[in-house]
Amino acid sequence: MFALSRRSDTRTAPARGIELPPSYLRNSLSIRGVLEAECELTIGGKVVGRIAALKLIIAPGGHVEGDIIARDVVIGGYLRGRVFAPTVTVEETAHVDGRIFHHTISVARGAHFDGRMPWRPVSYFETLDQLPETQP
Amino acid sequence: MTIFNRNDKPADAAAKPPANDIVQPQKPVERPQATAQPLSPPAKTGASMPSVISKALKITGQLESTEDIQIDGEIDGDVRGVGVKIGNNAKVKGTVYGDEVELAGTIDGKIEAKKVILNGTARMSGDVVHQDIKIESGAFIDGHLKPEFGKTGSKPASVSTLKPVTSVAPAPEKSIEARH
Repeated sequence: MFALSRRSDTRTAPARGIELPPSYLRNSLSIRGVLEAECELTIGGKVVGRIAALKLIIAPGGHVEGDIIARDVVIGGYLRGRVFAPTVTVEETAHVDGRIFHHTISVARGAHFDGRMPWRPVSYFETLDQLPETQP
Repeated sequence: MTIFNRNDKPADAAAKPPANDIVQPQKPVERPQATAQPLSPPAKTGASMPSVISKALKITGQLESTEDIQIDGEIDGDVRGVGVKIGNNAKVKGTVYGDEVELAGTIDGKIEAKKVILNGTARMSGDVVHQDIKIESGAFIDGHLKPEFGKTGSKPASVSTLKPVTSVAPAPEKSIEARH
């Protein structure tokens, strides 16, 4: 059910993931619940809950509280929660409060980051089919 | 003489660099990481674009928006928006509230909107509470049509106004708010 379990399939046929139209949640939209996207998902509004996506972008002004599983995450807004993604980009407008499990990460100068960024091998993300319990 | 000449030139040169030195430090400070970062992809924020829930997105939970929403995906929960368009292959399981709801997909639940448009491909299982409705040929409806939008709500103002559209206009928003 999660993006990462699908990852091995989509990696062999990346075109499938790209074909699907992206979703864009504008800043007036707030969602409370679980989001499962097999596409690129841009959040400009507020989301409280769990997110699984192929690629997730939290736009500047976006507000996410919850856990994220994705292949690629770009954070430009506010995030409180955990991220599980092999590739993570934290932009200068970001405000992150939590932890980012990553394989490759870039953090821009100016970003506000409070938390930890544990490194994991790629195999960790491939075998991740549901959110693991981590110590608070 | 040559020594003086040479000294003059470096002196001139030396007189200028200090001025440059004052200016230059600012450049290196600005440069290092700022340019190294790519511009944020979400900069593509459109002007009047609605929120788009594409067919590859499934949401379990509640959506609320003060703007338009375009739904092409699957939603298990309530949707509150101003203009809500539910596309051809979209599925919503829950209540859709809005000023204007246009349905071309499937709703299993309820619609509460001032203006409701059911397209030919629409499949509506449940009641429709509306003030103004348009149903195209081909639409499937399994439920009641109730022209009671704004009347049954907890809004007292809307109860008193039976006919005029203008005075009811502010009512929908408040009645939506009241149900939050």
